[in-house]
Amino acid sequence: MGTIAPFIKTKKNRSLIWFLLPITVYLLVFFLYPVIYDIYISFFSFKLGEKAVFVGLGNYQAMLADFQYLGSLKTTLVFVISTVSAELLLGMIIALLLNNEHRLAEGIRTIILIPTVFTPLVAGLVWKALYHPDLGMFTYYLRQFGLDIGRGLTVERYSALFSVVLVDVWEWTPLMVIILLAGLKSIPSEPYEAAMLDGASPVQVFFMITLPLLRPTAVVALLIRTLDALKIFDIIWAITGGGPGTVTTVANLRIYEVGMQHLRIGYAAALSNVLLVAGVVVGIIFIQLLYQDLFKEKKV
Amino acid sequence: MAAVGSKPGVRYTAGALRAIIVLFLVSFFMFPVAWILTTSLAQRIAMFKLPPQLFNQPTIKNFIYIFTQMPVLSWTMNSIIISLGTMILSLLIGVPAGYTFSRVNFTGKKALLMVILLTRALPTIVIALPFRVIMQNFGILGTHLAVILIDTVYNAAFTFWLMSGIFESIPEELEEAAKIDGCSPVQAFLLVAVPLSKPGLVTSALFAFIFSWNDFLFALTLTSPESATLPLGMLSTYGILQQGWTYMAAMGVVAIIPVVLLSLLLQRYYVSGLTFGGVK
Repeated sequence: MGTIAPFIKTKKNRSLIWFLLPITVYLLVFFLYPVIYDIYISFFSFKLGEKAVFVGLGNYQAMLADFQYLGSLKTTLVFVISTVSAELLLGMIIALLLNNEHRLAEGIRTIILIPTVFTPLVAGLVWKALYHPDLGMFTYYLRQFGLDIGRGLTVERYSALFSVVLVDVWEWTPLMVIILLAGLKSIPSEPYEAAMLDGASPVQVFFMITLPLLRPTAVVALLIRTLDALKIFDIIWAITGGGPGTVTTVANLRIYEVGMQHLRIGYAAALSNVLLVAGVVVGIIFIQLLYQDLFKEKKV
Repeated sequence: MAAVGSKPGVRYTAGALRAIIVLFLVSFFMFPVAWILTTSLAQRIAMFKLPPQLFNQPTIKNFIYIFTQMPVLSWTMNSIIISLGTMILSLLIGVPAGYTFSRVNFTGKKALLMVILLTRALPTIVIALPFRVIMQNFGILGTHLAVILIDTVYNAAFTFWLMSGIFESIPEELEEAAKIDGCSPVQAFLLVAVPLSKPGLVTSALFAFIFSWNDFLFALTLTSPESATLPLGMLSTYGILQQGWTYMAAMGVVAIIPVVLLSLLLQRYYVSGLTFGGVK
């Protein structure tokens, strides 16, 4: 205790510092160590079961010429941007529609959360059945409406990515709705009353009052969804397996193939470090926002 | 409902339009839920009918089949063991740390918080592959423990974050009073603070359970056939699934019922957890 005492700023509760020991050790061993190992091994050519050979930046050089991987990064970018923006837009519309004290709205708010708790792999398999080219219910009704979907949404190259985006939108828009509803509830009523007196139209009210006041909430929601969309794996794995061809192969799928199927651990590590950087950058922005919020209240 | 339109006719039309849009959107979100429930209770032949039927003559045959002819029971047990293990371990290391964080000021506080919260930002694939190599070196690859250990990395951070907020809202005076009565700081934590933080404990536990239960990628990289969880099991029977969605649907129902029920029962907590405490 003598060694750590100087770091503790307050005298009371000094012995409680030991409570931090388990989580610190845990994260060092099971979080920082794997991450550092990941960075370390990315400088080696290492196939599972063989000896690791130091190659310096070789893996990263190879990556720059790896069109399959660069393509999967592009797919990831398209996936993240289209899901997150669609979810924000749709979430905003639904939140505005549900923002009243009506009993029905309360009920809908409860059940609408069910997709977010669905085991993602199960959601993927359900949608795969609904998308089935011959027997799928969703396919059948799209055709009944006269839409030309070729052999089916998931098997045509031009619609496969859209089909998995739609499932992600199905699963995560409700979360957007709930976050935005909480934001809407926290907006005070005075600006609205003033706008009513001034005779503002509902559209004006939305763009001049609701949207600016909702912005902090929307930013948090956007960051949370971006972080999670970067992790996309299960749904695509279940529905298209990355196909047809590599149309829906996002970076996570490609890295998994390289690491788990080709067993090229070193190269997979180099590939995954691009995502590591992306995640850390978005994560730090997110934490800064949370942190400001937290310490505004606590004044630590 | 305070509609903005002033004329009754306009208000009525706006209300009806709103109701239609809401109804349409709700059916989009609920349709797959209805599908899995009715399909799990349908005869196998029903899936070949065109137009597809949502409602069929119900039967529980599918559930009997999956539990007697497939290792669904053992997959379910594996899912339960891993989810409960993650839950307990996350609470054990996350709750005391959250408490200290809310009660003690120390150098490096912000750095520790950064590292803990960054677990949320780390794409799962980045840690999954090195974790597999490390678990192999530890000799526990393919065990329940390997999956529990990695799930806990993600959950302990959440538990810690949530609990430090909860403890922050509990007045310190109560613990001070207990200390005057002769409690040690640890006793004050266990006997005063912990019982007062039940909502936070419930949320943390619920989340650890749901996260672990729904995980697929970590189970895929770290389990063996003996420790396979429900989602993995479902995928491994894909050949059978192509002959019968009804079995797949029945397994899916087994997989989603616990988490759907938990989230509906504890909805308020569930929402605060989904947003990492960002929305209360």
